[in-house]
Amino acid sequence: MHLLPRFDYYEPRDVAEACKLLSQFKASAKVIAGGTDILVNMKKGLIAPEYLVGIGKIPGISEIEPVDGGVSIGSNLIIEKLVEFDLIKKKFAMLSKAASVLGSPLVRNRATIGGNIVNARPAADLPPALIAMGARVKLKSRRQEREISLDRFFKGPGVTVIRPGEVLTQIVIDGPPPFTGGDYIKLMHRRSLEIAIVAVASRITLDGPDGIVTDAKIILSSVAPRAVHAVRAEKALIGEKPTEKLFEHAAKIASNECRPIDDIRGSARYRCDMVEVLAKRTLRGAFVEAREQ
Amino acid sequence: MKRLITLVVNKKACEIAVEPNRTVAQVLREDLGLLGTKIGCGMGDCGACTVLLDGRPVNSCLVLAVQVNGREIETIEGVSNGKDLHPVQKAFVEHGAIQCGFCTPGMVLSAKTLLEKNSSPSEPEIRKALSGNLCRCTGYQKIVEAVRQAAEMMKK
Ligand SMILES: Cc1cc2nc3c(=O)[nH]c(=O)nc-3n(C[C@H](O)[C@H](O)[C@H](O)COP(=O)(O)OP(=O)(O)OC[C@H]3O[C@@H](n4cnc5c(N)ncnc54)[C@H](O)[C@@H]3O)c2cc1C
Ligand code: FES
Ligand code: FES
Repeated sequence: MHLLPRFDYYEPRDVAEACKLLSQFKASAKVIAGGTDILVNMKKGLIAPEYLVGIGKIPGISEIEPVDGGVSIGSNLIIEKLVEFDLIKKKFAMLSKAASVLGSPLVRNRATIGGNIVNARPAADLPPALIAMGARVKLKSRRQEREISLDRFFKGPGVTVIRPGEVLTQIVIDGPPPFTGGDYIKLMHRRSLEIAIVAVASRITLDGPDGIVTDAKIILSSVAPRAVHAVRAEKALIGEKPTEKLFEHAAKIASNECRPIDDIRGSARYRCDMVEVLAKRTLRGAFVEAREQ
Repeated sequence: MKRLITLVVNKKACEIAVEPNRTVAQVLREDLGLLGTKIGCGMGDCGACTVLLDGRPVNSCLVLAVQVNGREIETIEGVSNGKDLHPVQKAFVEHGAIQCGFCTPGMVLSAKTLLEKNSSPSEPEIRKALSGNLCRCTGYQKIVEAVRQAAEMMKK
């Protein structure tokens, strides 16, 4: 049986107290939210923090709140609630979809949205959808609070711009403009308890139900150290009339843009081919949703 | 340093002193003697350690005991009503959905949670609800059939 190394546990009552503990203990302390990532890493002996700071009892960071047409999501909200809540299902459907394919029902009942972002795994399920929706995160420390775009949050596998002493408190997503739709597809060897071979999140905005594309995001996951934009493919879509041919063209560009590696889950070549297929399918899905809005 | 925690396990309040590095699965088995909760992989992959935390099924091998201070847990021991098995348990027995039984407590808890939310689940819904629980023995067909039958029994 895998046992956890020894550590001391703190359970601050508010964010300020959490920040204080984290800045006091510096690198020897780690936040624990749902624990589905950090406890596995500790059991495997990959990390051994001396202190864990549990954020589960802090009020105000586990809710979903509508704000100005958008939404503010507490970092400690469990993934399953992103699948359950009507507001997310209706207005931010691609986030619900990404949440519904993460891990297993048992994992989703513990794992949090904040943990999924901060662990910064290249194949994490929520960041691609969140980046496509232009999400921002609020980071609080003892002295300041900053809000930064998720686009600038990830640096590489397990590495983010978060500083020791900072807690991620909220994820903020603006309301989608009219005629906007999105989709997320994760390719897996099996349907549950599986990390993505490749995943793609796409979002497009039209200037009317039969109008041209005014904004486009294509986020590729599991093909680079972090989720990346298919920049040239996005550009190819903007200003054009959305047709099947355009989506095929953009998907081909996206496939040429990515530089994945060969690993146990799939070869680089296979991944590039699948990026093309998934980009095309997610663009189609995004288009259907955009017209209905 | 040990922490004193209070929690409700199978509707009974308890107070225990635990080291922070012990999981709910360990404390249930080793301190409370509730051996129905199994530990298979210890890594969140198999679901043998499934318990209900405030009504939601979770992997108790990945929850610290100190994290459930003040909360409510239901284990497989809390599912039957005295000697009367829960309909899900009865259906598992009748359908041969149990061989070695190692996965059964987790399967039953996940299935029971599904049926309390959705009284007539489709087969894909049943498979999805059980997708965090792995079985090495029976295969899944009999388990799925048992959950179907339990749904019928619970409607009566
Ligand atoms: C069996 C299994 C299957 C899985 N499948 C998937 C999958 O399909 N897709 C996927 O994306 N992930 C998967 N995961 C990984 C994991 O469950 C998720 O990434 C989850 O969202 C992590 O959230 P958590 O709350 O459990 O994080 P924790 O383990 O509590 O924390 C993760 C990291 O984030 C830090 N952290 C957490 N919250 C904060 C905060 N508010 N502020 C600052 N730092 C913070 C912690 O210090 C830690 O370093 C799986 C895990 C398991 C065990
Ligand atoms: S023992 Fe907990 S999931 Fe396997
Ligand atoms: S009956 Fe043996 S593991 Fe399921």
